[in-house]
Amino acid sequence: MKLIQATRSRLVFHLGQRENRLLRQVLKLYPRVPSAHQKLSKSSRLPDAEANQRLLDEALAERRAENKKHLQALLADPRRFAHTETGGRLSLSPAEVEWVLQVLNDIRVGSWIILGSPDEKRPELNERMAPDFAAMETAGYFEVQLLEALRGET
Amino acid sequence: MAATAIPEIQPGIVQTTEDKPKSGLEPGYLVICWNDPVNFMDYVTHVFQAVFGWPRKKAEFHMLQVHEQGQSVLTRESMEKAEHYVHQLQKYSLHATMERDE
Repeated sequence: MKLIQATRSRLVFHLGQRENRLLRQVLKLYPRVPSAHQKLSKSSRLPDAEANQRLLDEALAERRAENKKHLQALLADPRRFAHTETGGRLSLSPAEVEWVLQVLNDIRVGSWIILGSPDEKRPELNERMAPDFAAMETAGYFEVQLLEALRGET
Repeated sequence: MAATAIPEIQPGIVQTTEDKPKSGLEPGYLVICWNDPVNFMDYVTHVFQAVFGWPRKKAEFHMLQVHEQGQSVLTRESMEKAEHYVHQLQKYSLHATMERDE
């Protein structure tokens, strides 16, 4: 994945054949973090804790639904995500980069949760875990590419 | 070891060196980000910049605190604002919570 054009309003990336295929496959896994996984507080000493937790769950569910809608539109829009002879071309506005990062990290964190939230040591892989491990690593790969592009490193 | 300077106290001037008592502050909530082994350091820095509008150095400082100390207090706010920030951070799947400041 290579940044080929960067303006204030748009970042354009070239993807190789395999990257193009992998990115499309991994994005289709969204969302992966289980709903009601995230907690507003570690203590139960917040006023109206239950109601506020419900508000958080609703806000995150709403965001996931929005991201899913944006994602389906992106995957179906050849002006923003096109197949080319050499792979693919992805064209994103800065706002789109933000939600694509959210989507990719949801896939990464959700896959990690499915794997049993292992610590930094790589878990022992077996056939059952391999697809989730691959999803976590693939989402991470594309996250890093986007972050580097935002920092102007590519 | 450097010597401690003795402050000069002038007559007629009341010196108050104590911090404002806690009871004088509005009740506050701490927005805390917790360490986890899955989020990239660069990603966490980026999210702090995006959510709080911080310069990269400040965002990196808090990211390193999370990484090295297991947590970082990002800000102290009213309940509503703290909730807003936790919502924003969790949209990026960071492990963030709000806790009452005692």
